[in-house]
Amino acid sequence: MAEAVVIDERGALPARPARSFGWAWLGLLPFFAFSIAFMFLPTSYLVIGSLLKDGQPSLQNYADLNTGIIPSAFMTSIEISLVTAIAGGILGFLLAYAIILGGLPHWLRTGVMTFSGVASNFAGVPLALAFVFTLGQLGVVTVLLQGLGFNIYEGNFRLTGKFGLELVYLYFQIPLMVLIIAPAIDGLKKDWREAAENMGATPAVYWRRVALPILTPSILGTMVLLFGNAFGAQATAYQLTGGTLNIITLVISSQIRGDVLHNPGLGFAAAMGMVAIMAVSIGLYTVFQRRAERWLRS
Amino acid sequence: MTQGRSSAPFGPLGVMRNWLRSAPSTAPRQRRSGASHVVSWVILILAILYFFVPLLATFLHSIKPRPNDIPDPTLAYRQVLADEGFFIGLGYSFLAGIITIIISLLIIVPTAYWVRLKVPRLRPVVEFVTLMPFVVPPVVFVFGLIRTYGGPPFGLLSTNAGSDFVLVAAYVILSFPYMYRAVDTGLAAIDVRTLTEASQSLGASWTRILLRVIFPNLRTAILSGAFLTLAIVVGEYTIATYLARNQAFGPYLSLLGRSAPYTPAVVTLISFALTWIAMGMIALLGRGGRQGVQVAGAR
Amino acid sequence: MIRTRSLPRLLTLGAALVFVAAACGPSGSSAGPGGTTPGGTTPAGSAGAGGSYEQFTPDAALLAAAKTEGTLTTIALPHDWCNYGEVIETFKARTGLAVNELDPLAGSGDEIEAIKANQNNPGPQAPDVIDVGLAFGPSSKTEGLLENYKVATWDTIDATNKDADGAWYGDYYGVFAFEVNTQVITNVPKDWPDLLKDEYKGKIALAGDPRTSSQAILAVYAAGLANGGSLDDATNGLDFFKQLNDKGNLLGGIANATTVAAGETPITIRWTYNAHAGRDASAAAGGPKIEVVVPTSGRFGGVYVQGISKFAPHKNAAKLWEEFLYSDEGQNLWLKGYCHPIRYPDLVAKNKVPADQLAKLPDVAGTVFPSLAQLDAARTLITTKWDSVVGLNIAE
Repeated sequence: MAEAVVIDERGALPARPARSFGWAWLGLLPFFAFSIAFMFLPTSYLVIGSLLKDGQPSLQNYADLNTGIIPSAFMTSIEISLVTAIAGGILGFLLAYAIILGGLPHWLRTGVMTFSGVASNFAGVPLALAFVFTLGQLGVVTVLLQGLGFNIYEGNFRLTGKFGLELVYLYFQIPLMVLIIAPAIDGLKKDWREAAENMGATPAVYWRRVALPILTPSILGTMVLLFGNAFGAQATAYQLTGGTLNIITLVISSQIRGDVLHNPGLGFAAAMGMVAIMAVSIGLYTVFQRRAERWLRS
Repeated sequence: MTQGRSSAPFGPLGVMRNWLRSAPSTAPRQRRSGASHVVSWVILILAILYFFVPLLATFLHSIKPRPNDIPDPTLAYRQVLADEGFFIGLGYSFLAGIITIIISLLIIVPTAYWVRLKVPRLRPVVEFVTLMPFVVPPVVFVFGLIRTYGGPPFGLLSTNAGSDFVLVAAYVILSFPYMYRAVDTGLAAIDVRTLTEASQSLGASWTRILLRVIFPNLRTAILSGAFLTLAIVVGEYTIATYLARNQAFGPYLSLLGRSAPYTPAVVTLISFALTWIAMGMIALLGRGGRQGVQVAGAR
Repeated sequence: MIRTRSLPRLLTLGAALVFVAAACGPSGSSAGPGGTTPGGTTPAGSAGAGGSYEQFTPDAALLAAAKTEGTLTTIALPHDWCNYGEVIETFKARTGLAVNELDPLAGSGDEIEAIKANQNNPGPQAPDVIDVGLAFGPSSKTEGLLENYKVATWDTIDATNKDADGAWYGDYYGVFAFEVNTQVITNVPKDWPDLLKDEYKGKIALAGDPRTSSQAILAVYAAGLANGGSLDDATNGLDFFKQLNDKGNLLGGIANATTVAAGETPITIRWTYNAHAGRDASAAAGGPKIEVVVPTSGRFGGVYVQGISKFAPHKNAAKLWEEFLYSDEGQNLWLKGYCHPIRYPDLVAKNKVPADQLAKLPDVAGTVFPSLAQLDAARTLITTKWDSVVGLNIAE
């Protein structure tokens, strides 16, 4: 009896009575209380400050967001974050899969995971300098390639451009993906693959019907994390591309703490813009994830 | 209901059930196909190249000192290691990191568990809250903390203990995005509902479920979250310096000066190595073998 | 089973204890014990024919009041900027006070924010004294953040560089120089127009972002002076950098001591005192030989100012600090860091500068100082027009 039974995970279990939702959120109280106390309350002056211009309440700062370099700064930041989130997500996933289920020696897994731990936060000036030493004009790899006949600086390549920055960002994006997706890959039991194979599945079918449905929510969620991670980064970008690229975190910091412009209200408004973008990306991810679940289950 | 294997539904649950029903294979495991093996090695080697070449380049820079034209490769290293501030800074930050990890876990694991189990609708809200640390500039964050907790009614920042407390609280907030995502991914990989129901049917209280069932099953996720948090704390600078925590590693680094041509590279490499070792130790402590998904009753 | 497993764990715990012990070790690396002689301090009345100065002797009443406070909190004072490292150590030795240093990498904007945020906080997070760019003096006074105070040597400070009420007062200035890595650059540029030569393709960088950092902005302003411009209009500076960029001579990214030593940014434009500090540091670290060139044209003086925070928890310590900085010894210590202290003309007239120090100072004859209005106009122009005029935005 090969019925096409659509398994709904939630439906497989006894339904919870709807009214228990009313009190259940109390379980999240410690989390919300801590977040309010140590994040929302202290940063409330960011919200308030964004609504002040020269000491008077005003929406001018938000209107100003549409002027000058700010819109393009937002776009550039979004683009860089998106690219490194997707690239980092895919590459990180491949690396994680290789060390966990790829048949490599077990000690390599610990080595890669601990290395990823350090590399995930290797950012800012040290990372920028490390890449300058590698791919700068006198960098180790540049010189090596020149010896082999390739001059990477002949074309349009600049380490201090968008592509260079994305390349550098991957250094902490990939390890972040590796670390976060590892438990999900752990959850893919080897035996399931064998069971699937026993049922006549090719690797492609296994991936499409078994592995991806299980992994997709986690992969998507981690990509949102990677997006946020790159979106909020600034120290690396400043050191590597200062004076050339326009990204929103640098614009904000120049308004709030720079030696010059010092229009904090505008900076705060731009930060609220970043908050809005993060909210949108979470919204998109939630929608996309539900669609993906439905599609993968079909 | 016993149905033929070929008729079992094909989704993940179907495969899971099929796997549960079939006896563990006693036949010697087939080696994975050679092709996927090679692919794994290729991926690993490419990764090693990408991650180690910049470190190697940094190292090559750090051994360049030639005082009076006589090469002295270890000069920068001796200068850094002679300074006790380096180790004090690292030690303080490691300690702060460990405390942060513990507090963060105690908050996040029950929260992520509860969201999954009871209030999935609040999930986007919780995720949004955990991702907020990314968009708040660190200076704004620390000045906000000072404004809120420095003056009356709290006045926490006049004492060392109070300042340390605020520092750790800030670090816990910073760890939320990573900790939550890691734990949530870990929870996704285990069947939370079945575990909970099984435990409840055996009479376990919530605390017991969390401590005895959920935490042990999240080993990989917890380790990942711990690594990420430790890295953040050790590398953090802005909050530590404005809270006048000059014993921390970040502020120590800043005092090295912008004029030093080689010592920053050395500090980078040594702190990288030491942090890696610290994480290795954490991994050792947490080694419990590959965690199995303990579905009650099966095996 | 249990035995072999617990050994690594025991080792780990042991190592962890070592770390904890290190962490709980001496706290507060900048709390110096009173009375120790800091290494490398020039004994008062330095050697060499020529001038000499006395050690700083604190006023007894002020010292007693400061001692009850016990600490001074500073901010944004890198140890290699104007020799602040030695300045701080000497202060500790002369007064017996401890110094708590916040964020050496802070910008002027951060310092002001720190004062505002710590208004109600008497703890060590509140800065007592600030050292900010000239433009921040008047604006801080307007915002009510500064405490009026006139040091003993007040009258020897030029009137244009201080506030009449004593809210802020100039402390030092420098001009722009080229810091050149002579290993990579054999033909050292002597003046601004030289930078446009073809041989310097991909070799020139700024030490900050011209949309954020005061040092970088003023470098553009200074280039304008040398390029036929005037103090009233910084457009020539933008044009100069546009030419520099179009020729491919200008690099993106921020230059620092490491990039100079590595040869990635072999010509860097920064304040003379930073360039000299970089030269000395490179020599001490066994790095490449660095030459500091002060261009003959476009000598533009950038003044920084001191101020005491109105909400300073340690007001007397702050006043003592200012007295120290403006004493002959304090000013000379800044001079050792290649900064021109604000009382420089007075010191030279009274023969208070040792000859060997005089010899080390760069020649800055012909330095011009912009007024506040000119500064503001230039900053606004450069920060808003940088992207469109210079167009350093590279696509890939």
